[in-house]
Amino acid sequence: MSHAVEPNLSGMASGAEATRAWLQRYALHLSLLVMIVLSAAISPSFLSGGNVSNMLLQAAPLGMVVIGQVFVILVRGLDLSVASVMATAAVVATSFSGQDGDAPVIFALALAIGLGTGLVNGLLVAKRNVSPFLATLATMIVLQGMRSAWTQGAPSGNVPPVFRILGSGAIYGVPYNLIITAVLAVIFSVLLAKSTFGRKVYITGGNPVTARLLGIPADGVTILCYVISGVLAALAGLILSGFVGIVDNWVGRGFEIDSIVAAVMGGVALSGGRGTIAGGLVGAAILIVVFNAVLQLGLPIQMQIIIKGVVIVIAAAFYMRRKAG
Amino acid sequence: MTVIRTRAQSEFLRRNGSQIIVVGLLVVLAIVGVLVSDRFASVNNIMNILEQSVTLAIVSLGQTLTVLTGGIDLSVGSLISLASVLLSGITNGDPAMVFPAIMIVLALGICVGLLNAAAVIWLKVHPLIVTLGMGAALQGVTLLYTMGPAGKMPLGFDVLAYGRFLGLPVGAVITVALFLGTAFFLRYARFGRYVYAIGDDAVGAQLMGLPRAKVLLFVYAFSGFMAALTAIFLVSRFGVGQPYTGANFTLTSITPVVVGGTLLAGGRGGVIGTLLGVYLVSLLNNVLNYMDISSHYQLIVQGLIVIIAVSVYVEKKRKL
Repeated sequence: MSHAVEPNLSGMASGAEATRAWLQRYALHLSLLVMIVLSAAISPSFLSGGNVSNMLLQAAPLGMVVIGQVFVILVRGLDLSVASVMATAAVVATSFSGQDGDAPVIFALALAIGLGTGLVNGLLVAKRNVSPFLATLATMIVLQGMRSAWTQGAPSGNVPPVFRILGSGAIYGVPYNLIITAVLAVIFSVLLAKSTFGRKVYITGGNPVTARLLGIPADGVTILCYVISGVLAALAGLILSGFVGIVDNWVGRGFEIDSIVAAVMGGVALSGGRGTIAGGLVGAAILIVVFNAVLQLGLPIQMQIIIKGVVIVIAAAFYMRRKAG
Repeated sequence: MTVIRTRAQSEFLRRNGSQIIVVGLLVVLAIVGVLVSDRFASVNNIMNILEQSVTLAIVSLGQTLTVLTGGIDLSVGSLISLASVLLSGITNGDPAMVFPAIMIVLALGICVGLLNAAAVIWLKVHPLIVTLGMGAALQGVTLLYTMGPAGKMPLGFDVLAYGRFLGLPVGAVITVALFLGTAFFLRYARFGRYVYAIGDDAVGAQLMGLPRAKVLLFVYAFSGFMAALTAIFLVSRFGVGQPYTGANFTLTSITPVVVGGTLLAGGRGGVIGTLLGVYLVSLLNNVLNYMDISSHYQLIVQGLIVIIAVSVYVEKKRKL
């Protein structure tokens, strides 16, 4: 997918340079592989069926949020409101009788919240020229307030069984939520790589001025990217509520940071216009493997956070170097 | 004559427009407060507002400088948490250890800031990512050190939070002094002008040979120092350091900066606007409390204020 945007120069390079270019291009995938092999070598239970399906279950909601985050970052943005959207969708899921009959209403409401939030974010960024950081920060805070005002601070109630199945069930060992994420990933990857809309996203993010000169409705493209992120976050919130079963006001806490970290690690440039969904998803996989390995290795759980902090800076520095070199 | 005066006036308005708006809002809020409750205008309540705004003010002061350079410091929350547990953990009730512990956490703040700046300068990574990573790492270190409240402070350490100086809260006096000193420095010191120059036009500043690395090292060290100072005031208020005590400050420290008219893009704004922004947020929460509006709605109001502030100010920069 990245071939379309990054000119492939390896044909002109000598053998050694070609190897280097290859290593750089696949550094991410190689490091994921190395991490899996290392974790498996040190801890035999790492590759056990139970642990693998556990990791996949956790990867699915994160992956879903990452897809949206990639769209937003591609147009030089950032979406800090995703975790708040997730939690709000999850709270909605428990605000009804807890029967399957409510599922369509919950689904529609959650998507409307994601859509509305994305629309507000996008309008603020595109039409009012607000920095994405502040726009999404503000919607995050407003949603937080609306959520706790609605629940009076303590949500209660049950998630309908159908969400429980979607969030934690599996068929032949493959979690349903992972299947949903995979389907969404394929659809949105094709959209990004093959459709005119995808082209417009890359051009808008690469250079908004060029985009305007080309007659691309850059504002509309930007708004749509935020809407995609909001809707996918709402969906991820529903799935996650089905995974954890109980809902508090903080379902999805940390997903805003993790999704940005995953995208950056996956080579999606914060400066916009470069990166792919596949890259972001590999980044998400690395995060999940690292978190899991920390536990499997018997390290204190606090190491997860420390490693996350160090990894994000190193990854970002790596891509800056590559861009410069 | 008239022409010159008008020009001077419009220059004054252009420079201080956002401050004037915030002062106007402060007045409106004060009037609402007086109308809502007769206890609002009492000396006690005003002292209370001043006392409670100290920590937010100090951390936002450091944040303002990083934002002025076009950066941001998202590590302040975790740094406050780490500094607060270290302060009360090291002191552990021993009056002789208070001073060394304070020195240690202030030094820690400076070191963290220098590390942030070093990564921004030499790894060429965006400040957002650097300080986000630093914040995560520091939170992890904090939790490795302790999972709950650590140690305790000796009696009398709460003088910082609750003491009086000439009838005014000690912390508030220190806060205002810090803001005035920084404002003076930014306005009249050559190095202070560099902070604006680098934020306004990084390329131009580089072409003029301004010491970008030195300025960034100073600005992030300043922010780290102020975060550590915030932790000292927090520990003074609560009597003990807690591992999540600073968590909310990361994002709330940005609200007063933005409301006070400092642009996230850098180069425009100032610390006096931030101080007014801090008092606006504190006064707003206070008035909402008197109106019996629950903290849930206070969040909504705060978010809406950010949205309004950023959409008003950004438009202004475009016109200029």
